[in-house]
Amino acid sequence: MKAELEAIQAEALAALEDVNSLDTLESLRIAYFGRKGKLTDVMKGMGKLSNEERPIIGKLANEVRAALTEAFEATKNALDNQQQEQQLEAESIDITLPGRKPAYGKAHPVMQTLERIQAIFTQMGFQVVTGPEVETEHYNFDALNTPSDHPARDLHDTFYLTDGHLLRTHNSPVQIRVMENQKPPVRIIVPGKAYRVDYDVSHTPMFHQVEGLLVDRHVTFSELKGVLVSFARQMFGDQTQMRFRPHFFPFTEPSAEVDISCTICHGKGCRSCGHTGWIEILGAGAVDPEVFRAVNYDPEEVTGFAFGMGVERIANLQFRIPDIRTFYENDLRFLKQF
Amino acid sequence: MNVTLNWLKAYIDFDFSPSELAERLTMLGIEVESVKQLGAGLEGVVVGKVDSIRPHPNADKLVLCQVDIGEVNALQIVCGAPNVCEGMFAPVATIGTKLPTGIIIKRAKLRDEESHGMLCSEKELGISDEAAGLMELSSDLSIGTPLTEALGLDDVIFELEITPNRPDCFSMIGVAREIRAETGNDLKLPQVDLQESEADIQERTSVTIDASDLCPRYAARVIRGVKIGESPAWLKQRLESIGVGVINNIVDITNFVLMEYGQPLHAFDYHKLSENRIVVRRAAEGEQITTLDEEERDLTPDMLVIADAEKPVALAGIMGGYDSEITETTCDVLLESANFQPSSVRATAKALGIHTEASYRFERGADPEAVIPALDRAAQLIVELAGGTICKGTIDVYPGKKEPYQIQLRAERVNFILGTELEATEIEQILSRLGFGVEVGQSEDIYQVTVPSFRADITREIDLIEEIARVHGYDNIPTTLPKGDIPIPTPNTSIEVHKRTKHFLLGTGMMESVNYSFNHPNCFDKIRLAADNPLRQALQLKNPLSPEMSVLRTTLLPSLLNNAQHNHNHQIDNIALFELSTVFIQREEPARVAGILAGEIGGGVYGSPYRSPDFFDVKGAVEGILDVCGITDYTFKKTEDPTFHPGRNAEVLLGNRRIGMLGEAHPKVLENYELPYKAYLFELDLEALADAADFSKRFEPIPIYPSVLRDLAIVVDEDMQSDMPIEIIYSTGGELVESVRLFDVYVGDQVPEGKKSLAYTITYHSATETLTDKAVNDLHDKVVKRLNQELGAELRM
Ligand SMILES: [Zn+2]
Repeated sequence: MKAELEAIQAEALAALEDVNSLDTLESLRIAYFGRKGKLTDVMKGMGKLSNEERPIIGKLANEVRAALTEAFEATKNALDNQQQEQQLEAESIDITLPGRKPAYGKAHPVMQTLERIQAIFTQMGFQVVTGPEVETEHYNFDALNTPSDHPARDLHDTFYLTDGHLLRTHNSPVQIRVMENQKPPVRIIVPGKAYRVDYDVSHTPMFHQVEGLLVDRHVTFSELKGVLVSFARQMFGDQTQMRFRPHFFPFTEPSAEVDISCTICHGKGCRSCGHTGWIEILGAGAVDPEVFRAVNYDPEEVTGFAFGMGVERIANLQFRIPDIRTFYENDLRFLKQF
Repeated sequence: MNVTLNWLKAYIDFDFSPSELAERLTMLGIEVESVKQLGAGLEGVVVGKVDSIRPHPNADKLVLCQVDIGEVNALQIVCGAPNVCEGMFAPVATIGTKLPTGIIIKRAKLRDEESHGMLCSEKELGISDEAAGLMELSSDLSIGTPLTEALGLDDVIFELEITPNRPDCFSMIGVAREIRAETGNDLKLPQVDLQESEADIQERTSVTIDASDLCPRYAARVIRGVKIGESPAWLKQRLESIGVGVINNIVDITNFVLMEYGQPLHAFDYHKLSENRIVVRRAAEGEQITTLDEEERDLTPDMLVIADAEKPVALAGIMGGYDSEITETTCDVLLESANFQPSSVRATAKALGIHTEASYRFERGADPEAVIPALDRAAQLIVELAGGTICKGTIDVYPGKKEPYQIQLRAERVNFILGTELEATEIEQILSRLGFGVEVGQSEDIYQVTVPSFRADITREIDLIEEIARVHGYDNIPTTLPKGDIPIPTPNTSIEVHKRTKHFLLGTGMMESVNYSFNHPNCFDKIRLAADNPLRQALQLKNPLSPEMSVLRTTLLPSLLNNAQHNHNHQIDNIALFELSTVFIQREEPARVAGILAGEIGGGVYGSPYRSPDFFDVKGAVEGILDVCGITDYTFKKTEDPTFHPGRNAEVLLGNRRIGMLGEAHPKVLENYELPYKAYLFELDLEALADAADFSKRFEPIPIYPSVLRDLAIVVDEDMQSDMPIEIIYSTGGELVESVRLFDVYVGDQVPEGKKSLAYTITYHSATETLTDKAVNDLHDKVVKRLNQELGAELRM
């Protein structure tokens, strides 16, 4: 009987070697472990053994049974894995097919730029304030130290309304409105639309500006430089150089035009910057005492600075659109680029 | 304003290279817009003399010239110019020259004859448009000299942008003064030493100012026996180098002195002045003058004229009169140097549409103290260049004479404003280099500053501080961050609503558009606004660029429909756009959000096809906006609005307040915008959203007990609104109904004619116990019964 058990084990193990499907494995399992299986038969014969033999053969039979069970188990696992691998292979897909990207919208490029500018100044404690676009001569010019016979008015080609009002030519009137209603300190930026009679590849009759104003007991020109340098580094990169040139605006004194190192040639000189290495991005200056008087601030008690920049111009330093009127056609092929 | 390097150097010494000078002026606030080397491209062009000419053996129109350019051998040059002749001096472009016109001179054979260079016309040299023949040069010139040197073209032109506050810089001397501020070198002003004759000017003319408010100063000299002719080369070169046309010696001199001093001058033919005298007065009603440009001008009594005893002879400070101008026969000249009130010149120039070098300067303010130096300088040049004698004395009527202006300057204030630590000596030095008189005033820290007459723009302490900052250099001012406190911001719901709305709409796949605030007045017809709709009361522009941009928007919808039309015209039909903007409703500027969905929307990628939008896309967009604003108590109500399909629109109501509209565009609106497919629109009032917005979210406990879902399909009349069953379900189930969701609407073969099927999922839930099947079934049966009783709804099997 011992020999019989050993033969069954050898035979079964040999048969397992040839098994290559779960079905044949199952038949083999029945052939050995089934009710009429070979191992079962041997086990049934155990009762005929002597008391001495029984434990010995019983132990051996259990060992054989355990060994075969393990071997069957291992074969089954191997076949399972094989089958899963085949299935996975069959499920392979063409991963070059496009992703099912949900439709998502994009903010207008000018608005993207405006929001970036806004975010930088907000971090520096400037509060966003808005104001009317239809304005009076008083707020757009007179209160900003630009009386009607002032030559500086020639620089503003103003849209007038038939009712005598005008479309603001800059966002500066909002500064006046805020100062009229608020005591210093004032630290605001004014994003929004402004209008001038101008229509060519670099001018649209409506454009966006961000203006800023800081008024306090002691604000210096050097702080104006600090705020704008900080802005430029964040907006255009920390390698950006800045240049303040004296200029004239009726509502600031001293006034400056501010250039950044050309974003294309980095100051070496190229066509975009007229071979100067510099690109003008904004106007700024210390608030003129006359402007303070117009809002009943005492220029001996407070000082301040203001600055203003054109958003389209700044946007286009990055986007380089040859005709900026394209911004307002709202062609979807254009809008999707940004 | 153009200045040249050589001309500036006549008034001040400096060693700056052209690019350095450009940089320095720019950093002083006189922006140099361009720097141009005069005679650039003419480096290889020399003065040549045509020694001999013989015919070209193979061409009738060409000749062979032997040209001397100062080298050992004369050059053979083939030439076709009609004016070429033996002994002529002309420019020769030598081999290798690249002319400004782009022509490169090479050794060439023309019809078998060699040509070793080119004899040039002015056009070929880029000097003028004269192309008829060779440029004729003076035979005084030394043969072989570079042409640039011979013609004084070795100069550099700077194009300056002068800001309106600096009329003093509209002159060579003015710019030289700025260089003085930079270098500290002294000015070299023209030396004037007049030889006057015995004849007294007082006996020959007089000046009467009848309008001293408009004419602070009028000075005149008389020069007799001048000979009108051509100006000498140096004078022509100066004027031509900055683009001023050459006329005759007298006029050229007045233009030269104008450019030198910034003081406009005018020369009258003395004998053409009635009674040989000058009256400065306002024009009489109906008076006329023919100006130098031979235009007849109607004058009004607010215009200042220079008149003789009878009639106007010049528009004061703007342009001379035709009848008294200098001509070839002029022999005696009355030379005017005057100062006029800026706004008067400005108004007259504007009214008559004449803008001259003179008016430009007077409008911005000329220096009254430059009147006499400029007059004397011109008189001297006239005698030198046109002969004649100067009558003794000057007539100088100066009713507007002012004492020099004085300003107190606190040294401490300079540093306070600028954030600098300038020493008193630096401040003093800067001011005196700019021509200011500086004296220590009542205390050591306070200066008494005297403003020179040419700086009328300086009237306040802050103006002086700017001057100091400018010359000290903005780049030398420290860069620091603000030290003051950051004001506490006030919360702004509108900005939050704007932001949330935009983020939500972008998330739905709509693109943001930005349109002009202008529109065509016919846009209201195109969107079919009722005749009495107040949105038609749009503000109008007085000076629009075009009819398309002539009224201000009262609604955003026409702009979005225009955008759809533009895109459709370019074969782009996936239209999903929104805009956030203010509109202009009389004196108010409320903010709006509007959107359009048209054509095909959605992914448009493999597995996620495009689809046509419908009413519920825009409704969903509006519901989403309301949701992100925390607004829940809104209702939709079908309304009559001619912009929309009568059966597919809704107004959005918050209580009784209408806050917007949405729906399918009326087919006639689609026609007006030439759209071949349906378009769905919405427009909401952002102000109303901000008023109602509620961002105060509170935690609600996550349910402890499980919910039970039951689907319910009922058949009802086709015209029943889908929210009626929902109300009944909620009212029947009370607190135990957590939610009701419509998931299907069906009309078709499966239900009787005139009926539709609505399918809902009802979620039952109790906050206090696990609902048993029996409890839910009982409740659900009740719901079904009430739906049947109240709406006649049949269960659909
Ligand atoms: Zn560049």
